[in-house]
Amino acid sequence: MRVGIVCPYSFDVPGGVQGHIRDLAETLAGLGHRVSVLAPAHDEDALPAYVVSAGRAVPVPYNGSVARLAFGPLSAARVRRWLAAGDFDVLHVHEPLSPSLSLLAVLCARGPVVATFHTAMTRSRAMAAAQNVLQLVLERITARIAVSALARRVQVEHLDGGAVEIPNGVAVAAFRDAVALPDLPGPCGPGHGGTVGFLGRYTEPRKGFPVLLEAFDRLAARRPGVRLLVAGRGDRQSALAQLPAARHDQVTFLGMVSDEAKARMLRSVDVYVAPNTGGESFGMILTEAMAAGAPVVASDLDAFRRVLDGGAAGVLFPTGDAAALDAALGALLDDPAGRAELAARAGRAVAAYDWPLVAGRVLEVYATAIEAVSGRVVDTALPLDLDVV
Amino acid sequence: MPDMLYTAVLLAVLVLALYLAATTARVNRLHARAGAAARALDAHLVRRAAAAAVLAERLPAPLLYAAARGALDGAPGDREAAENALTRQLRAVAARCDVGEPVRAASRRVAVARQVHTDLVRDALAVRRLRPVRLLRLAQQHALPAYFDIDDPALAGAPAPVPVGAGAAGVRTATAQATGD
Repeated sequence: MRVGIVCPYSFDVPGGVQGHIRDLAETLAGLGHRVSVLAPAHDEDALPAYVVSAGRAVPVPYNGSVARLAFGPLSAARVRRWLAAGDFDVLHVHEPLSPSLSLLAVLCARGPVVATFHTAMTRSRAMAAAQNVLQLVLERITARIAVSALARRVQVEHLDGGAVEIPNGVAVAAFRDAVALPDLPGPCGPGHGGTVGFLGRYTEPRKGFPVLLEAFDRLAARRPGVRLLVAGRGDRQSALAQLPAARHDQVTFLGMVSDEAKARMLRSVDVYVAPNTGGESFGMILTEAMAAGAPVVASDLDAFRRVLDGGAAGVLFPTGDAAALDAALGALLDDPAGRAELAARAGRAVAAYDWPLVAGRVLEVYATAIEAVSGRVVDTALPLDLDVV
Repeated sequence: MPDMLYTAVLLAVLVLALYLAATTARVNRLHARAGAAARALDAHLVRRAAAAAVLAERLPAPLLYAAARGALDGAPGDREAAENALTRQLRAVAARCDVGEPVRAASRRVAVARQVHTDLVRDALAVRRLRPVRLLRLAQQHALPAYFDIDDPALAGAPAPVPVGAGAAGVRTATAQATGD
């Protein structure tokens, strides 16, 4: 199949949507499909071979944060050129309702269009006002994919349509086979030692880092040698202010990490903690920790409960409850057999999120979109011989 | 002065003609898509029934076989009920044993085809409600698109590729995915 994928955000800046598109494109290419990705980019030399640059993106405040987008007549001309050169069987756009390359591509497209909605954005006033214009965009989309139940609910309630729910994929092998950081996770026995991990922007309240710090303070009081490994962006000094100075050297900050360093970090912990207090629609980091074989302790959010198979593939604690988190961590760090059992169950649960499987689901949606435009039935089992069906 | 009036009228007629041409094209495109999606859904329903019949002969499972025949022979009026009966039989069998990848894949394709068909029918019906489309009967050459109202045909997900050591955990995985919609 010839697949054209449009990424609305700069490809040379790390991000959830960019990572998703990179993994999807590489998995599809590995299955024998011809994939081209169109994305804004600053440094064209740093791009993988399958990415076509649509030029620089400009920062635009959108949906509560700043997105770097490319939008305008010049971008539109580039989109049209790319579409004409690619002659795609199916066009796959991501986040098509922001003013972006994705929206331009939907408006320029003539064939089947599949759209993936990542964020669980709520209906904005601008969206309500532009309902008629929005309908013109939406009806050019043949099939919609939502990456989470929450994102799908937004489709149903606010955009007057359904969506096929396909979860975010995770490159299981890359996490499973990563090598732990030197000297980690270190000794961990009954009543002493152990390494607890956290990844995320720890100064953002919704990530729940203060809950983890409070639990860690209690845990460290009765558990000598326990360590906290933190990766992500933020201000270390203000984050640590909550913790007594005596415990500061038990906390290690890795700063921003690359994908490879993230995998190594997740392989270096005895327990991974996701203390988020809300705002998560899927829980990508949980599937990554599960793939890395790290036992997971997470707050009891809807999204986390689903990924953790209702609590079978990880320990859930009441959201925001530091005492409960402390108890869960203490119990798990004291119980190597329990950790191994949890990691094994997580490994089985995360198989459903492995990219080859997820890409197969996406291909089925591509086939359905092609069918809904051409009227002929498409077999996904024959990736290279679409035309003979 | 009459020249300007002529120009204005001519311009208005031109704009109106362009709008009507675009709207007619939109109506035709949306109906063509809904029709194509309906044919694709039909094809996937037939494939699912055929895969179910093969499974029923192999097991054997007479009730499943009867439901598959019912879906294949279903009269246009009660096709939805026949497809729902087949979904129920497939779920009953899936609870007892592995139905195999062909049936699971066919069920997934039906689920996606049904979702897309529903969305495209909704788009076509929405454009039919537009005032100019109703007044000028731009959609009269197209049959009224109809929803195909069946239960979600999704079955339990594929069993975990790793042999399940703790049986209870494996069963939980399967049911969580089955109800995971």
